[in-house]
Amino acid sequence: MGGMDAGEGKAPAKKAGGLRHPRRRVGVRVDMTPMVDIAFLLLIFFMVTTIFRAPQAMEMNRPPKDAKVEVAESNVMIMMVDKNERIFWKFGEDPLKSVSKRDLVRHFKEHKAANDKLTVLIKLDREASYSTMVDLMDELEYAKMTRFSLIPMSEEDVEEVSEIP
Amino acid sequence: MRIDMTPMVDVAFLLLIFFMTTTQFKPPEEVSVDLPMSSSEIKVPESNTITVVVTEEGKTYLQDEKGLTAEIPEGGVTDALKDARQRKPSAFIILKGDKNTKYGAMADVMDAFAEANALRFNLMTEMKTEQKPR
Repeated sequence: MGGMDAGEGKAPAKKAGGLRHPRRRVGVRVDMTPMVDIAFLLLIFFMVTTIFRAPQAMEMNRPPKDAKVEVAESNVMIMMVDKNERIFWKFGEDPLKSVSKRDLVRHFKEHKAANDKLTVLIKLDREASYSTMVDLMDELEYAKMTRFSLIPMSEEDVEEVSEIP
Repeated sequence: MRIDMTPMVDVAFLLLIFFMTTTQFKPPEEVSVDLPMSSSEIKVPESNTITVVVTEEGKTYLQDEKGLTAEIPEGGVTDALKDARQRKPSAFIILKGDKNTKYGAMADVMDAFAEANALRFNLMTEMKTEQKPR
């Protein structure tokens, strides 16, 4: 309002302003309720839609194709996963023993504690699901066994596993 | 008695602006995959990535950063990856597989990666919420 008054004083040619009645100053109280309502609505919307959990990643480092790592047979634990996601393990030519998914971490940890040089060779049936592979990798990560081999099952392996009821 | 709402409104607006600016809407994806769960805590880099998507049926797609996908013909993963790497030599390679994909399909893709000399890559997973017995 003050600015307008000053303008009128300097430029009297502006008649339009002069015609008006001098306005009384009124203490205007804007009702903020709708604005706050909208603000909260938007706030809640953005809070709900925000995703803080970006997808995670597992890192895979594979050796070059022609790299060969020799490991003593006694240090290799063979894990086999068949197409029904049953998990078996053995050392060398021992018969296969079953292990449940839930006991895997304990299983890995126990064997790692018994033999520090232990390496795991995972043989997965091509029909097994990818999430089984990720689960196994996850369990190995938990047991701090970050070096392992992952290969599809050969036909003999499939046969060997299928004989187990 | 009238409670002064000003500080509350201030905080509300502050939060509102914060959430508005930090929200990132998921880009629409032409192929959707159900990621497997893992407790890995490595973050997926947001830019400079080459993403290969494997769907439940075992179809492969190359996905760019905007979420646009191009189907890779069967057996063409190696070439597609080589080509993509030529354009972005330092890109992170991300393999995004559906959790119900057969392991065989994933093994083939990973072998194709090795063929393209991509020995280091990331498997995209979703955070597992349940805590494991230690």
